[in-house]
Parts: sequence; C-alpha cells; structure tokens
Amino acid sequence: MNNSTPPDKTIRFLHSIAFAGALLAFMLCILLSVNYFQVKSSDPLNSPVMKAMVEKFRSNPADEQLKAEIREMDLFARKSFFTRQWQIRTGGYILLFSVLVVIICLKTAELLTSKIPSIPDSTTDNFWDLRKINRKWVAYSGIFLVCVSLLFAFLTHNELGKTLQLTGNNPGLAADSLKTDKNSKTALIVSDTVTTSDSTSAASGDSASLSQSMDGYPTQQEINANSASFRGPGGNAVVSQHGFPTNWNGGSGKNIKWKSIIPLSGYNSPIVWNDKIFLSGANATKREVYCFDLNTGKILWQTLVDKIPGSPGTVPKVNPETGLAAPTMATDGRRVYAIFANGDLIAIDFKGQKVWAKNLGLPRNHYGHSSSLIMFRDLLIVQLDQSGNTSVMAFAGKTGEQVWKTSRDVKISWSSPILVNTGSQSELMLVAEPFVTSYSPSTGKELWRFNCISGEVGPSLAYADGVVFSVNDYSKLAAVQVGATPKLLWEADEYLSDIPSPVATSKYLFMPTSYGTMVCYDAKNGEKYWEKDFGTPTYASPMLADGNIYQMDKKGVMHIFKADKSFTSVSESPLGEGSVCTPAFFSGKIIIRGDKNLFCIGK
Amino acid sequence: MKKIFALVFLVFLFAVQFMNAYGIQRFPKPEFESGYVQPETLMPNPRAEVLAIMDIVVLIFCLSVVSWLVIKKRSRNKVFWMSLFALAYFGFYREGCICSIGSIQNVTLALFDTSYFIPLSAIIFFVAPLVYTLFFGRTFCAAVCPFGAIQDLVAFKPQKLGARLNAMLGVIPYVYLGLAVLYAATGTDFIICRYDPFVGIWRVNASFGMFVFGGLLLVSGIFIARPYCRFLCPYGVLLNWTSRFSRKHITITPAECIQCRLCKNSCPYDAIDMPVTGKNPDDKRTMGRKLIFITFLIPVLMLVGGWTGSRLHEQLAGVNGKVKLAKQILNPVSDKNQAETFEMEAFKSAGKQQSQAFAEAADVLHDFYIGGWILGGFIGLVFGGLIAGLLITKHHTDYTPNKGTCLSCVRCVDYCPVKVT
Repeated sequence: MNNSTPPDKTIRFLHSIAFAGALLAFMLCILLSVNYFQVKSSDPLNSPVMKAMVEKFRSNPADEQLKAEIREMDLFARKSFFTRQWQIRTGGYILLFSVLVVIICLKTAELLTSKIPSIPDSTTDNFWDLRKINRKWVAYSGIFLVCVSLLFAFLTHNELGKTLQLTGNNPGLAADSLKTDKNSKTALIVSDTVTTSDSTSAASGDSASLSQSMDGYPTQQEINANSASFRGPGGNAVVSQHGFPTNWNGGSGKNIKWKSIIPLSGYNSPIVWNDKIFLSGANATKREVYCFDLNTGKILWQTLVDKIPGSPGTVPKVNPETGLAAPTMATDGRRVYAIFANGDLIAIDFKGQKVWAKNLGLPRNHYGHSSSLIMFRDLLIVQLDQSGNTSVMAFAGKTGEQVWKTSRDVKISWSSPILVNTGSQSELMLVAEPFVTSYSPSTGKELWRFNCISGEVGPSLAYADGVVFSVNDYSKLAAVQVGATPKLLWEADEYLSDIPSPVATSKYLFMPTSYGTMVCYDAKNGEKYWEKDFGTPTYASPMLADGNIYQMDKKGVMHIFKADKSFTSVSESPLGEGSVCTPAFFSGKIIIRGDKNLFCIGK
Repeated sequence: MKKIFALVFLVFLFAVQFMNAYGIQRFPKPEFESGYVQPETLMPNPRAEVLAIMDIVVLIFCLSVVSWLVIKKRSRNKVFWMSLFALAYFGFYREGCICSIGSIQNVTLALFDTSYFIPLSAIIFFVAPLVYTLFFGRTFCAAVCPFGAIQDLVAFKPQKLGARLNAMLGVIPYVYLGLAVLYAATGTDFIICRYDPFVGIWRVNASFGMFVFGGLLLVSGIFIARPYCRFLCPYGVLLNWTSRFSRKHITITPAECIQCRLCKNSCPYDAIDMPVTGKNPDDKRTMGRKLIFITFLIPVLMLVGGWTGSRLHEQLAGVNGKVKLAKQILNPVSDKNQAETFEMEAFKSAGKQQSQAFAEAADVLHDFYIGGWILGGFIGLVFGGLIAGLLITKHHTDYTPNKGTCLSCVRCVDYCPVKVT
C-alpha cells in the first residue's frame, strides 16, 4: 500500500479533468441521442415533399425546372442524411475518447490516493442468517419466474402449433384462417353477393347484356363469334365456335389458305373481327397497325402510329424476346386499339384512320410492356403494371377519355387481364405479385384480392367454373375459388410457367410450360392426370376449341390433343416457320402469326 | 512510461477503427438514367487463417500469464495491466469476436447440427478457459475476458448488494445460459452475440438499443462491480461450476489467516466466504429432514419447470425465422404502406408452398416444445441445486474466496496484512 501523502493538487487536477470529460460525455450522449432520432425519423427517399414533387413531375415529364428542383432536393436530402450519420459516428468516437479520459483520470487519482481499509462490522456476519435469507430469496425468485412465465404464456397463447398443423395438412385452411383474422387483407369483401357460376366459358359482358344488342358496343354473341382480344373472348383462351382444322402443313400447303408477310415484327397475337385481321408491329424507328383481309391475306391498310403528344423521343430499352410491340390489340367492332412499349395508345377505325391517340408515359418496365388490351362494352381497359405507380385504367373507346383509373398495390408484371362472368356480375381479373385481383370493369372498383403469387409474373389467369388459376415460375400454381371470400382450393409447384398461360375447363386445367411440357390437372383438387413433354420450348399460350387444345411451339408445330383426362394426340401440324404468338380462332379458320408471315389455316 | 505506452497503443487502435468506419456506410444506390455505371462492389477479403491461430496463441498466452500473476505473483497491478491488454486485443482489435462467452453457442450448434462446421478457434475459446479454471480458478474472468476488463475499469464505487439481491439476481445467468443453448440448439439465433452489450463499444457501431444497454451496464458498473459478469454472463455459470473443483485457487492470505477481516470489504463482488465456526441453529435431524425434502423436491421443481417451459414454447419459438415466416403468411401485412419483410419476399421468390413453410414451422415448434421441457427442467434443477447448496455447509476457520464466484481479481490480496516471507 502507498502510505505517502497524496499530492492533493494533482488529484484535484485529475478530478477536474475527469469532471470535464464526464460533462462532455453526458452532453455528447444527449446530442447523439437527439441526432439518432432525427436520422431515424428522416427518410430522404420518401419525404412527402419529394413524393409530391415526383408525382407532379410524372404528370408533366417535360417540366425541366421541376426535374432540376427534384434533383437538387434529392441531393440535399442525401447530403443531410450522410452528414448526420457522420456526426453520429464522429460523436461516438469523441464520446469514447472522453470516457477514456475520465477513466484514466479517475484511475490515476485512485492510485495516488492512499486507502485505509475499514474493518467490517462483525454484527452483520451472521452466517446462518445469511444462508437462510439466500435460500428464501432463491425460492422466491423461482416462484416469481414460474408465475411470470405462466402468466406470459397464458396471455400470449395463440394455438399457433394447432393452426400450423391444420394448415400444413390442408393448405386451403390457411386462407380460411386468414378470413377470421380481423387484420387480414388477404381476402377482401366483395361488394356484391356472388354465386358460383356453372358456366365454363368466359364472358366479357354481364348477364343483362347477353341477350341485348346495345348501341356503341358489341353484344356477347358478337364477342363470342369473333376473336376480339388476346386469347379470344374475355382473354380466357376458350373458343365457343366449332369446325376448326386439326391438320395442316406449312411446307406442303395443306389447309393453308394463305400466308402474307408482316411488314414489322412484333410478338402480339392477331385479333379478328368479321373479315378483318388486326395486328401491330414496331421497330426502333416506327410503330404500325395492320389490317389484313381474312379471305385473301392482303393488307387492307396499315397505319403509322406517330405524332402522338407526349410520346418519348427515345426508344425504350426492352428485352429482345418482348420487343416493342408485345401487347395484343383489342377491338369492339367499331375501332381497333393498340398499345406499344413506349406507352403510345391509339384507336383506329376500321378504315385505318386514327380516331384518337395518347401517350400513357414511358412504362418503367425492364423487359418491355407486354400486357394486352381488352374491351368491356365500350371501355378500353389497360393494365399498366410497371415499376412503381402500377394501375389499371379504362378509356372511352370512342373518345379516349379516361373513365376510371385504379391504383394497384402490386409489383411489375407482364400478364394480361381477363374478363369473366362469375354468374351475377362481370369481373376484370388481373394478376401480379402478390395478388390475383378482381375489379368491377365498369367502375374500376376493387372487388377482392387474393395473395397467392410472387415474382415477375408473365402468364395470365385462366378461369372456369368459379375457379381462377394463377401461375408463375419460381412461385406456384394456385387454384382460387372466387367469390365473397376467395379461398385457395389447391396449389402445386412441380410444373410452372413463366410465359405461356394456362387454360381451364370445369374439369381440367391445362398447364403449359415455356420448356415445352404440358400438364393436365384436375381443376377442382389439383390431382395431376398426365404430363407430356413436346420436346420444344413454347411461348404461345394454348387455346381450347372444338374440345381440343391447340398448343403452338416455338418451331411452329401446333400440338393438338384432346382436352381430356388422358393424353390423346390429335395431330402435330407444322407451320413451316417458328411462332411465339397465340393463334386466333374465327369462323372455322385459325390465324397464326409466324416469325415473318401471317397464316390463315382453314379447311 | 508503461502508462504512456498503453495510452499510445489504445489511441492507435482507435485510429484504425476510425479509418474503417468510413467504408461501411450503406445507402440505397440512386437510379441513374444517364448511363452511369455503378462501381463494382468491393468485398473484403476473408480474415487470414493465421490470424485465427494468433487469437488462440494470444488467448493461451494471456491465460498462462494471468494465472501465473494470480497464483504465483499475487499482483493486482499486473493483473490490471493484463486486463487492459485483453481489452485492447479481444475487445477493440478483435471487436469482441471471437469470445469465449459466445462460443457456447458455436459448440451447442455443432452438437445439434451436424452440417455446421465449428471453427477450431471457437472450440479452443470455449475449452481453454474452462481447463485453466479447472486448475487455477477463474483467472479468465480476472484479466482475459474483455467484458470483465471494461467493467473493471469503471468500478469506482462498488457497493455491497446484500444477500437478497445477490440471491435473486444470481439466478439470471442460469436462465440466460439455458435460453442461449436452446436457441443455438434449434438453430434459431445466437442470442449472446445478438445482445452483446459491449459490441457497440468495441466497434463503435450497434443499434441504439444496444448502445443504451451497454451504457447502462457501464454506468451501473460504477456502483455494482461487474454487473454483466455476476448477473448475466452465461459462460460465468460454466466457469463457476468448473472453478469449484479448481486445484490451485487463489488464497487471500499466503499463510495463516489472522482474522483481521480487512479483506471482507475489499471484494467488490461479494465473493469472500466468512469463516463458518459457529454452531448450526438447526440440529442434525432437522438438517437431515431438510436435505431429504430438497432431494425429493428437486425432481418436482424440474417437472414444474419443464411444464412451465413447455407452456412457453410457442412464445420462445416466436423469434425463429421459420415460425416468424409462418406467422407472416397467416397474418400478412395489412397496411398497404408497410413494406413486406425480407423473409416474406424471400419465401415468395423461392416459390415454396405455404404447406411446406407451415410444416417446417411446426417442426420448429415441436423442437421448442421438447426444448421448453428441457430448459424448464434445467432451471428447476438449478433452483433446487442452489437451495440444496445453501443447506450444505462446510466448516472452515478462515476468510476464503468463494471458489465459484471469485473472479480472481487479486484485490483482496492487497488488503491482507499477511505477506509472503
């Protein structure tokens, strides 16, 4: 022990430094805490002011001054954020240093101070009493621990194990259990009571419209008699007409009525209205809409899509497999409508004259916009699932005026809408991660949504007998019972598609894959009946006509087989050139867009 | 001179830390339309294997030197300087990783998960302090563990806590140890590392909550010496058990105790046992009855504890990733503005079926059910053992360090007037 007289002055000096250091440390603690909460509360990328400015800019992309202001604000916000982070870090080091100074000073002062040991009071040293107290308090601690644990277990018990066991045995129950959760948004309440439809066919008009011809838009009979959109009536790939050829050969010319060169390439499928075929094409410099004569294959007119206000001057960056004209056109029998990868939307009359046109803004889509158009009565429906600000909107076919627009809380997708009649009402169904969503096609009001899909969704939905089927690669195939409380009927993940869409009947679901395997499932319980590997990749979606499935592969061979529980091949008909487009069926003829030519197949 | 050298060394370590700090700021990359090419992300090289061996060498060196200083030299000052070195090396230079406390989890996971490869250094860091403790007492706690070292630095005004608080708080490390083993065994989490209170100080980087936790421990450490070591450290439990069998534990006096009681107040950890010379107020028969009672009580306590643990298994499993995911699937995000969790996004991207996720979560719940029984049984055993231990008394005439709780800091030796002749 050091018994020398302590250097009081030095000790006082050390204590003073320690006090100053402690004061500094205390102040730094407060400042750092305040700074931390400020950094935590500020998110430079999502400030309301910035969001408002960006939103304003979206509606007016040509405003260069606003663009500059946004950039300046963005830079300022980032600088501010990083400066605060730097302050926290540097402050942390100063705090550490000041604490170190305090410790060194106090320890040194302690070393310089002589300590006189004190003798403890012997009266407190009752060993047996201390032991008794120890035993008692250990026991109290144990009782306290058990009580708190049981109370906690009781208060927070939620039967999770049983729920998991039940849902594990029957995944459909997961959806059921969600419905009972007040906070769940998986199943939204449908505004109208919906009864399950026995109909296996898609319908793009409501029941009231079925028997009536209305001015301004076609009747359901007219729609069913034509091929007015991607994958036929309602976009559901089911053709109600009969008498289509099942055998042809592009090389020998068997059952090939004609073939015509398509001026510009595009991956959109042909649509047909009476004796006219429509499709579009585009390259880096121009976009065009073509009208072919169904009987001769001659181009009746071609319309250049240009001089559209707001159309971007630059060519959008798209994937070569998507191209600049991937969305299939739509028609209401009065006009045809086309959309392109740069956001140009145009309406053209049946004589090739532009009726109206507008640009919807450059779709933020890294592969290229590909969702096809569809008509509901006189409304042109556009699905615009892009990176941020996704929406579905409807324009008046006659004027191009926007009738409704509904924001979608989903991620980017490449799928196309379908229109179905569920028995009591028409529903517009769309799919994109994470939901299958149903809207009222006349108002855009969301009817319900179901969380069942993920990833970059390419395939469109299939619908039959009250069940909608969604699929995407690296996700799953899901069968969802539509209605007031949609629920998962079954799901599978063995065969998944990233491009071609499935087609369904009341009994079966036919699931194509882009690598060329076709699979047949029981539509109601997901039992797999058969699978068939055609050996060639396929991008085109299958169509159901005459009780047969028509599946085109990339080499241009149409695989035709019975839409049945067991696989029965009807024929394999080569086109003579590759094709990635879905064929259109009309009045005993099949219209196929090949890589270069448009083909008409007929007996 | 030594002090200046130590100070310069510490400043150098801080400077190194400061330079590294600029390299780890993270922020979402802005999106450019101008064709700007993002620079390639630079990944740091893995730590050289030789440095892991150096960690082991430093650990063994420190253990050996500190054990020698404690047992042979009996020098508090030298032990203190060694603790500063350990603080600098294992704390600030190695940033608290690897550490013996956390190695419990590595060892546990390696025992339960055959696919987990446990590094040699983790094994050595787990075993070596226990082996040294078996021979020399808790010399690891004295001056090798950076946790102890940093708390020792701030123990300026240590106060006696009293028997009640000591008894109550003393059971926490057992519970913490049980939980750490359960979470590691189920592959859920390394909670010792996650809630390491001083890692933020070593790295000058941690969550705000952990900074606050570490700061509070240090501030309370001014008055309650080494609060983490005494009332939280799960590795301390193992060292406590091992140290009871240590061959050469530090003694307060090198010769005969003169009963001056000067050492009693010197220990800031309440780890000095007073002489037991008086007569037990309970007669032998009563004591015998109490011992028989506690012997039968221990299995009951284990059952009660096990049952309680099993009731808590769903809550305990709540932090497991698979269970969390299943809960999220069952209760999806209801707020449209609320971002989906990474786990949920990963699940969706993986294309797994819900049923599979539920089955995996159910398996984890089952593991936790079994684990809950074992954890509760262990805690029941600990309580029974502690009470039984407090019944059994060994008579001795000197003031002696409690072999289990003594941290071998050598403070008491300085106070003992009896010196080696």
